Amino acid sequence: MSEKRTIVIDPVTRIEGHAKITLHLDEQGEVSDARFHVTQFRGFEKLCEGRPFTEMPSLMARICGICPVSHLIASAKACDALLAVRIPPTADKLRRIFNMAQIVQSHALSVFHLSSPDLLLGMDADPAKSNLWGVFERDPRLARDGIRLRQFGQQIIERLGGKRIHPAWVVPGGVSEPLSQPDRDAILGAIPEALAIAVRTLAWFKKTSEAFREEIGSFGNFPSLFMGMVKEDGSITFYDGKIRIGDATGILVADRLDATRYYNYLGEKVESWSYLKSAYYKPRGCPDGMYRVGPLARLNVVDRCGTERADQELAEFKELQRAAVLSSFHYHQARLIEILYCVERLEQLLNDPEILSKHVRAEAKPNALEGIGASEAPRGTLFHHYKIDEQGLVRWANLIIATGQNNLAMNRSVLQVAKHFVHHDRMTPGMLNRVEAVIRAYDPCLSCSTHALGQMALRIQLLTADGQVVDEIAR
Amino acid sequence: MSRVLIIGYGNPLRSDDGVGWRAAEELENRLSDRGVEIITCHQLTPELADKVSGSTAVFFVDSQREGVPGAVTCSRVAPQALPGPFSHQLSPGAVLGLAQELYGRTPAAFTFSVCGERFEIGETLSQRVTENLPNLVAQMAAMACAPGNDLPTKQEA
Repeated sequence: MSEKRTIVIDPVTRIEGHAKITLHLDEQGEVSDARFHVTQFRGFEKLCEGRPFTEMPSLMARICGICPVSHLIASAKACDALLAVRIPPTADKLRRIFNMAQIVQSHALSVFHLSSPDLLLGMDADPAKSNLWGVFERDPRLARDGIRLRQFGQQIIERLGGKRIHPAWVVPGGVSEPLSQPDRDAILGAIPEALAIAVRTLAWFKKTSEAFREEIGSFGNFPSLFMGMVKEDGSITFYDGKIRIGDATGILVADRLDATRYYNYLGEKVESWSYLKSAYYKPRGCPDGMYRVGPLARLNVVDRCGTERADQELAEFKELQRAAVLSSFHYHQARLIEILYCVERLEQLLNDPEILSKHVRAEAKPNALEGIGASEAPRGTLFHHYKIDEQGLVRWANLIIATGQNNLAMNRSVLQVAKHFVHHDRMTPGMLNRVEAVIRAYDPCLSCSTHALGQMALRIQLLTADGQVVDEIAR
Repeated sequence: MSRVLIIGYGNPLRSDDGVGWRAAEELENRLSDRGVEIITCHQLTPELADKVSGSTAVFFVDSQREGVPGAVTCSRVAPQALPGPFSHQLSPGAVLGLAQELYGRTPAAFTFSVCGERFEIGETLSQRVTENLPNLVAQMAAMACAPGNDLPTKQEA
């Protein structure tokens, strides 16, 4: 082998959105570089300019069909800041319920629909079988559990917001309608089943993951910073809190950072080869300021969850590796622990005597020209930042999305996996599936991060340095 | 106890592609007190298999491109084997197949496909589809309330 070659995986399958991966081989045929390219473009930050700020939650929810609630929440919080109001306590709790329902259904999608084929059937499974239907055939109960857990989250969203996708119930100042007692009781009635599914899926995953030691050791298993939101007492939160950043040794690099001052400590970099911006921790610069967000990062930085079963699982999780849990393979387990926490916490909130209060919205006109809202989305910390004029029209918007914050780590993870598993002289679908699987571990949402849905075929090309196709696999 | 499920699907922001949603809304007004469950969605997904399996009859209502604009085609649906690798959207037969595979139950099922004329961005139906909507709704309502929900294998309305 005497020439440089490139392997292109385009598009990446079983993720939410469009992307491709290129693997660059050196003269000896070994992987020398890897890039995760996000090839779709949305441009929501531009198209919202000139719109009334009151439209922003509904408009921004259109960014994504998987996690519209996350955008509703962060957007509404930014609008609360424009109104300069403190929303009623019941509205605050209802938004938390809404957000956690979203976390449950989105995490269930990631674990059961997108990643369980890899986990249940193996990384080297026949690509024709390595999909949701393969899971249905192999383990119908796991499939039924996935369906029920997703329904659980979706039905809470539907009961509160009126519909599953793009509900407009979260509004500036609170929520538009209170929770009814029949809806509250119906959700509470579904909790035991959801809890049982979360518990047994965690048990299944922990047993299953024992067969993936090589993947655990090479799937994004490197030092980085980790960022997440925590409550005053250091416990987990998805709705409101202070930003905490920890390092690979478990030491806190920064704590109690104000989320509405994100621009003081987070920077964004644009690369010519991707529509996805890369975020980094400013004091360390780029790329040394690479940090991860989402379930793995959140569980690394929190002191506790605050519910009984989730805390037991968290204690076990923190023992997976010395100091911080570094391998991105463990995102899956962290995701399942968060599902467990959310189900437990939902029950607590729904039993709160205030939860049926009719006072759910604060009315006001704009009292500030700039507002920032931050919350924890399924994939990590989400920031919405708006500036408006005196007429209440949006003049500028900036969104920092979880997937962008994981971009540097995803690229490095792809490189690590490719170096470990991919060799030009014995390229197999299973080898390349692992390159995709490490991306799936992060559960990137590319519709969100480029502010599309479509056919998810996989095409891998082996190219010479001058672009000639010398080998191709398609499925 | 007999339970009929009506699923209206399509994209309500794409003119006639939203006819399934419009029919479902009309049927909601007519049948809300008749024990008929009505849901709307953009596309058929695996989660529907659970609900479908617990029903005695299921009606899928959607638009189609081929045919005379406004014409309605009713067909009985048979369960299909598990589809190809993609789970973004399923056919009615695939949803039934999943219901059988995962829950061991498949109800009687029918599709009502309305031939659309316009599929551009818009929230209104074309004139021809609008004119035929009452017939479609009346036919579906009659079937939903009829014992046995029986229908010939295929018919043009």
